[in-house]
Amino acid sequence: MIKNYLPLTLLLTVALLLTACKKDDPKVPNEEELITTVNYTLTPTGGGTAVVLSFKDLDGDGDDVPTIIGGTLSANQTYTGMLDLLNEAESPSESITEEILEEDEDHQFFFQSDVSDLIISYGDQDENGNPVGLNSTLTTGTVASGSITVILRHEPIKDASGVADGDITNAGGTTDIQVTFPVDVQ
Amino acid sequence: MFSKDKKIVSNRKFIFLPLLSKKITIFIAFLFTITGSYAQPCDLTIKGRVTDEGSGLPLSYVYVVIQDLTQGTTTDDEGNFLLEHVCAGEYHLIFSHIGCDPEEVHIHLPEDTLVNIELAHSSISLEHAVVKGKKDDYDDQPNLSVNRQSIEDNTNQNLSGLLENETGVHIIKNGSGIAKPVVHGMYGNRLTILNNGIAQSGQQWGNDHSPEIDPLSADRITVLKGANAIAYGGGNLGSVILIEPKKIGIEPHLHGHVTYAFETNGRGSSLNTRLQQYTPSVAWRVNATLKRYGDKKTADYFLNNTGTGEANFSLQLEKSWKEKTFLDLYASTFNTRLGVLTGSHISNVPDLEAALTREVPFFTEPNFSYKIEAPKQEVSHHLLKLKAKHYIDENQSLQFILAGQLNNREEFDIRRSGRTDIPALSLQQYTFNAELQYLKVFAKDWKLKVGNQNIIIDNTNDSRTGILPLIPDYISWKNGLFGTVSKQQNRANFNIGIRYDYEYQYAVVISNSISKDIIRYTNNFHNAGAVLGVKYDLSKTQSITLSSGYAMRNPAINELYSNGLHQGVSGIEEGDVGLKTEKAIKNTLEYKWLPSARFSLNALAYYQRFSDYIFLNPQDEIRPTIRGAFPVFKYEQTDASIYGFDASTQFTMGKSLFGLIKYSFLRGDDIRNNIPLVYMPPNSLFGSLSYRANSPINLSAQLQLEQLEFELNNRLVFPQNNLLATQDFVVPPPSYNLLGLKMSTNIIFPNYKFRFFTKVDNLFNIQYRDYLNRQRYFADDTGISVTMGIKFKF
Repeated sequence: MIKNYLPLTLLLTVALLLTACKKDDPKVPNEEELITTVNYTLTPTGGGTAVVLSFKDLDGDGDDVPTIIGGTLSANQTYTGMLDLLNEAESPSESITEEILEEDEDHQFFFQSDVSDLIISYGDQDENGNPVGLNSTLTTGTVASGSITVILRHEPIKDASGVADGDITNAGGTTDIQVTFPVDVQ
Repeated sequence: MFSKDKKIVSNRKFIFLPLLSKKITIFIAFLFTITGSYAQPCDLTIKGRVTDEGSGLPLSYVYVVIQDLTQGTTTDDEGNFLLEHVCAGEYHLIFSHIGCDPEEVHIHLPEDTLVNIELAHSSISLEHAVVKGKKDDYDDQPNLSVNRQSIEDNTNQNLSGLLENETGVHIIKNGSGIAKPVVHGMYGNRLTILNNGIAQSGQQWGNDHSPEIDPLSADRITVLKGANAIAYGGGNLGSVILIEPKKIGIEPHLHGHVTYAFETNGRGSSLNTRLQQYTPSVAWRVNATLKRYGDKKTADYFLNNTGTGEANFSLQLEKSWKEKTFLDLYASTFNTRLGVLTGSHISNVPDLEAALTREVPFFTEPNFSYKIEAPKQEVSHHLLKLKAKHYIDENQSLQFILAGQLNNREEFDIRRSGRTDIPALSLQQYTFNAELQYLKVFAKDWKLKVGNQNIIIDNTNDSRTGILPLIPDYISWKNGLFGTVSKQQNRANFNIGIRYDYEYQYAVVISNSISKDIIRYTNNFHNAGAVLGVKYDLSKTQSITLSSGYAMRNPAINELYSNGLHQGVSGIEEGDVGLKTEKAIKNTLEYKWLPSARFSLNALAYYQRFSDYIFLNPQDEIRPTIRGAFPVFKYEQTDASIYGFDASTQFTMGKSLFGLIKYSFLRGDDIRNNIPLVYMPPNSLFGSLSYRANSPINLSAQLQLEQLEFELNNRLVFPQNNLLATQDFVVPPPSYNLLGLKMSTNIIFPNYKFRFFTKVDNLFNIQYRDYLNRQRYFADDTGISVTMGIKFKF
């Protein structure tokens, strides 16, 4: 009885090796959740050419450097801001903006800028009357240069202190987007 | 009459002695005789003497009871005991001693006249080099173990928690539910965990992955710290943790127990039940565990979403033929759901920095909840094992093991558009083990053991996650050959072992470039190892053990091919396909002194030197992504040294006070770059003082308290000072001191018996953070907790 074990081991090992040495091609996951592109379109009120700030990183966490396009704004001007989020890794590209609109009570954009006199305020609300930030208003002041940072938080604590006014300090949640655009105000 | 008695003696000897020889470890042996007279069937006498096997000295205060009669006694200073006026019949005798698993023996008066009993003792013992027959051979190495009683009295703990107070052992945690053991600074890929003789397979690479084992299915957990771990699968440089159930034993009645425990912190319940019976055709044991915990609490606030749930089951079948051939079947299933603190779910560097400045983590709610939501882990682990052992003759045996494991891991994150219900990571891993071992004891105490181990792993990602996998799909086959020789020569015991492992890896990687190419890698590795150990008895009460080992470990799949964002550690991890095999030398020197059964001392020093030590090195690069900036970590190699010192002592004061002190020191350095190694355990000191009632306390004629024990314990953890400020996001937490209390007793009624145990952890509800707990970036560790449990045995 015991003597049978040795050939049995060899047999099983060989059988397993013959069948198990190859691995099929893995199915490449469909990364539909990925955000590759953020476009912040600023249209001057009263007409004029829109300025589009853009961030594009098609390889996600990979080591390709993202493409960032900044912009030049006019001094003492008010702009209507619109954010558009895309997944351009898919073909055709997919709109993430729609997903955010559907779950607007779980999302909020925060705007930060070191440009003096540049103010961004919310132009939209979710069902609970809290800001979302897909639509915004940007006003410029004196001539200056610096950057604008746009942050999207998923599941922020919207009723925490200062969050509705655009202060991110107590917001919590996870960051889905954090991009910075260079801007000049002329 | 006399001659008839004698005949019975030899009969029993025949049955029991072969059994004794196959027991795993003998720490303390009891020998007693039962003498009786046939004329007056209710005037039989059971008497005997109890000695400590380690020192050979008599053991006093061992409690001996005839369970069926509630009649008991304790041994005197000479180790003697006497039970009088016993009627003829079948009885269960129970032997218990402080720190031991109570041992139960089924006897039949007046036929039974000579029985040998073993108690597994958790204390340090000298383990005399006299090799007892076919006793497994790891007892000549530095080791320590946790016994069944301690597993049951700490039923609220997971595997790692049970080992926390042992010297040289630490735990890496991610909150309180996710914990993995660290021995002498080694964990994950460098630490082998053997569950029931089978190398536990799973996703060892993750610091946020616990070993999927139910400690309540085991009777003994042993940590082997010597370099002699060479005979165990994996061919590791580090230590081995063995989790073993004991043999079912010859007990014709159905026995079992039910244990229920409640813990205030987390409002957790755990229920464990075990049933076992020996029949001439087959011996069986089943074990089932259910656990449910809600949010844990720190000294000041609830840790939201830190609940856990567990459902485990195991079946053990044993069959033997003529005491020569043994067949064991073991099947187990382990299923768990683990919540991860909501406030620790951060995404990029600025988020982490914001979380670090907070006193109380984000999402801390004032209410307790049992709910477990994303981020969470759901893991199942199934094992089926068949082991056959055959004694060819007195001196030779052959062992064959065949096992299959399935590990299913799913990790959930908070995601958009209903994707939270889709795991962000989903891995399925099949492991197949086949092992053959041959043992021969030659004349003049020569002992030879040779074996072959095969491990085949097939790991597959589920593409439905919608996220590129961090660990690729792969197949690996490892074939190890080993041989060990041991020889007893006067006062010295020599051990020599060699090992060779071949590993084949086949990985299929999806690149994270835009084109998502599929790249195939094939690797062949050859690893060799050798160990030399000498144990020398300086005197009857002192011994030293010196062991030196060399081993190689080839890079693991995660070290070669990890690629992407590891959400659990909020960093981008990149493997290096060019990694070489890691080599290490480990030396250990152990000294044991056991002058009497009342005092013992054990000291162990070790030094481990690595060349091409593989570790995750933080890079200067901070990678901009659309989600913000992430630190980049790359698997790199360096030369490293890890050395340390473990010491423990046990002492008895007077008749009832029992003390224990344990100290662990460790230091790890990257000696190529002259900087400390990260994630090395800080030093710690553990002490306990217990009082144990020497004899049962009679509360009434019907109610008796037996083995009443109180314990006061203290754990002091020093700060990890051996770390540069640039090596972590935040300085390691300061030292902390936790005080605990324990009480346990058996409550005996005429026809039934309970065990009651209670304990208080973190008695002063102090606020602290532990260096090896990743949750320390976000929140404090757990505050005061009271556990109460009851065990009903039948």
